[in-house]
Amino acid sequence: MTSIELDRRTLLTTGAAATGAVALGVALPDEAEAAANRYFKHGVASGDPHPTSVILWTRLTPTPKATPGSGRGPRATVRWQVAEDRRFRRVVAQGRFTTSAARDHTVKLEARGLRPRTTYFYRFLYEGVASRIGRTRTAPAAHATPANLRFGVVSCSNLPAGYFSAYRHLARCNDLDAVLHLGDYLYEYGAGSYGDVRQPVPAHEMVSLSDYRRRHAQYKQDQDLQLLHARNPFIVTWDDHEVTNDAWAEGAENHDPETEGDYLARRRRAHRAYDEWMPVRMGSEVALGDGTRLFRRLRFGRLAELSMLDLRTYRDQQASYPVADGTVSDPERTITGAAQMRWLKDSLRQERAQWKLVGNSVMIAPVVFPPLPNDLSRKVNDFTGLLPEDGAPYNVDQWDGYTADRHEVLGHLADHGVQNTVFLTGDIHSAWACDVPLDAGTYPLERGRSVATEFVCTSVTSDNLNDITGTAPARSSIPVEAAIQANNRHVKYLNFDDHGFSVLDVTAARTQMDYYVISERTDPNATVSWAASWATDADTQAVRPVDAPVRER
Amino acid sequence: MAPADRTGGDETGTVDAGALGRRSFLRLTGAAGASLLFSAAAGAPSTQALTGVAGQASVARKRRAYVLVVDGARPDELGTALTPHLRALRDAGRNFPAARSLPVMETIPNHVMMMTGVRPDRSGVPANAVYDRSEQTIRDLDRPSDLRFPTVIERLNRKGFTTGTVLSKEYLFGIFGTRATYRWEPAPIVPVSGHAPDAFTMDAALSMVEELDPNLVFVNLGDCDRMGHSDLTGTTLQAARTAALVDVDTQVGRFVDMLKTSGRWRDSVVIVLADHSMDWSDPHQIISLQPALDADPMLAGNVVVAQNGGADLLSWTGPADRRAPALRRMRDIALATDGVLSVHEPAQLRLGDNAGDLVVYCRSGWRFSDPAPYSNPIPGNHGHPATQPIPFFVSGGHRLVRQGTSSAAARTVDVAPTVGTLFGLGDPRGGYDGTSRL
Repeated sequence: MTSIELDRRTLLTTGAAATGAVALGVALPDEAEAAANRYFKHGVASGDPHPTSVILWTRLTPTPKATPGSGRGPRATVRWQVAEDRRFRRVVAQGRFTTSAARDHTVKLEARGLRPRTTYFYRFLYEGVASRIGRTRTAPAAHATPANLRFGVVSCSNLPAGYFSAYRHLARCNDLDAVLHLGDYLYEYGAGSYGDVRQPVPAHEMVSLSDYRRRHAQYKQDQDLQLLHARNPFIVTWDDHEVTNDAWAEGAENHDPETEGDYLARRRRAHRAYDEWMPVRMGSEVALGDGTRLFRRLRFGRLAELSMLDLRTYRDQQASYPVADGTVSDPERTITGAAQMRWLKDSLRQERAQWKLVGNSVMIAPVVFPPLPNDLSRKVNDFTGLLPEDGAPYNVDQWDGYTADRHEVLGHLADHGVQNTVFLTGDIHSAWACDVPLDAGTYPLERGRSVATEFVCTSVTSDNLNDITGTAPARSSIPVEAAIQANNRHVKYLNFDDHGFSVLDVTAARTQMDYYVISERTDPNATVSWAASWATDADTQAVRPVDAPVRER
Repeated sequence: MAPADRTGGDETGTVDAGALGRRSFLRLTGAAGASLLFSAAAGAPSTQALTGVAGQASVARKRRAYVLVVDGARPDELGTALTPHLRALRDAGRNFPAARSLPVMETIPNHVMMMTGVRPDRSGVPANAVYDRSEQTIRDLDRPSDLRFPTVIERLNRKGFTTGTVLSKEYLFGIFGTRATYRWEPAPIVPVSGHAPDAFTMDAALSMVEELDPNLVFVNLGDCDRMGHSDLTGTTLQAARTAALVDVDTQVGRFVDMLKTSGRWRDSVVIVLADHSMDWSDPHQIISLQPALDADPMLAGNVVVAQNGGADLLSWTGPADRRAPALRRMRDIALATDGVLSVHEPAQLRLGDNAGDLVVYCRSGWRFSDPAPYSNPIPGNHGHPATQPIPFFVSGGHRLVRQGTSSAAARTVDVAPTVGTLFGLGDPRGGYDGTSRL
């Protein structure tokens, strides 16, 4: 990975100057940045790239009082442009978009008529002022066979817990097709509840629509996140914290109907704010309110198809601890819901693309735990929820708590001879590389053979083991990691200590996950280093270590 | 050993060989000293005429294609440290990890697809075993007349090229019959499995190339498949399978060495693939549909099941006016049976009229055993979707061979168009169903 400096001031300067201030009435360069900050405080973003279209996003602040969540401010129309060059000499798509307080002055549209697998530059214009320039990239054509694909992979970015240095360093990768955010993009907690490096806005837990909008707005003002959004299209799914902790279809652990009202009403508000503030399709179109279906497919030629899951909206309630009965294996319980299960199985069975990538918000590989001292178990549970104190071997919030659905998916892979499925996962604030066995008890024998692999990225900032124990990195984690791997032979790599990001490189021969870690989440100038790389060779359904990360293409 | 040293060169004369028609026999001596029997099309150049060429230090330049089928191999089995020769061959060419076998994932239909380039609804060969309505019996599709579409073998012959088949299984030898210019008659045959061991098969392939030097040679290596099938206890399955893989790698290594030392490599395209892969069932995971169908009053005595390991082909033999409700009942009974994955109309799978009325697939880890639970005692089976992934790579020293890995979805039906591209053959009537992978 080498760095680029797509300097924001340079882009604004060249972009504004080259476009022609007279023709567009664009402010002069020196004024441009301040004006952009006035109107476009929350940056720009793109997402869900298709071969000929991509979603563009920004948030307009038409008047100083039109603050996020305020419900105030006039209707206003922005112009948008997509160009082949960063000076906007070759504009290939443009249009107007009218926003208002009803949608919190967010702007979200689909730029169409683009060419496959092409890098474009985009910007928004209001009152003659241009936003910062964003860079995006369309997906390869449906039948193309690209030599490779490369994705940034991130999850679990809790703003109060630290600085988003992982985003900043990932933004320096100049060769990404997209960034996959696998959930917990933002957190619901109030001040002091889950990290105190930075203070959340609002200071209380987000519950109302205004709360959710303000919290989204706070995250979107983070400079590191803005940079990453401006440089790459995002492909996102939510986990629980986009609504509230340990959410399920009709409730959540961190929701009290007595004081916080009807859960489904709260979720509707959270989903609405998400739809407004994220560059994502939540329905067949990009229009606000056209649906809340987040599970969707994105195709990258014949090389890969990405199925993004929603594992929060349709799931049954988590089993309760201690797991003393067969609840987790009850075939009537589901983590996907029936419609999403049918859709996922159909996605996996198709032979459209070689690699079946699955954006998966919670871990699917089984994790059976050894007995550990309870004191240590509780600390591991603080961030992974993996270790029931009485030794019941499940994290009931991930696929381990819904084993019938897991058997349904993995059995489907075996029954249909589906090769090259790779689950890409977030949620548990630690990095893993695993085979995904049909039956962990008989793995790696034929009956328990691996039918997929799983790469889990660590958190951007959210707590992991040494944050909780207060010990030096590796002091607590080494015995825990060793014990887990000894009892779960399909788990090949584990890192419970670090925060960071990953880069997934996909070729016809293999997929490779490079794990990068930052030096310190509380340091706004944290450095980055490479930690490990693991690959899945085509047709093997097995992970193997790699001794170096991929180089910039 | 120089080629001339192991050439018997004793053409045994022309005989009438019944179903195989008029042919001449060539008796060559293999590497192990065993006698190898080839038949040849009447008028084909004999080994005596070719020996002089083969004995020269460098062979004549001409286009050469070799299709090596590692019967029943799974794609992950051919790229490991156990198979260094296959891995090196794969890495020298273009690998297609998304490759798949086509329905029904059995030996005969997929070998036919390789050589015709068309799906079973055009070739007439949808499975190994079908219910033959005219003969009112279940039989293997092992007759030359079962194959109704021109193969690339015949088409090359008509263009003046020569061809050869070295097929380890008796039923493959049967269906391809006398199509090739030169045919090895598999021997010795292992009882029960009905195939010749790979070492003998490769002896024959080497001799055929070195002595007769056809432009196209189609080779089936049957040990991997048969080691999957023939272990009834399952206890030694892994070891036997591993041994077979190691051995097939050795045999392929011999073949590549011969191409390189004889100077043929630079003119050669070597396609390595499997016809299907393999799935192992547990002893208790057996599906017998025939008894269940016969227990139904509407269906009793009017349904015939042609069992193909992981796929059952169901044929309604009752009155035509009761066919529609009967098929619905057959489908319902099949889907209600443990271990059944899915039920399809043959047209959905492009299988044509020979496949009966319904195709039933089993799940991974299961097998069909029809008509009775003891009919299929072997644990390793194929025919069902679990056995679709196959190895498929195009290698060799020919300038058209590219290196690397492709995400393109190669299929068994791609072999004929690939061979056709090398030799400049036009498309067959109606076009190919496959795609050239050169």
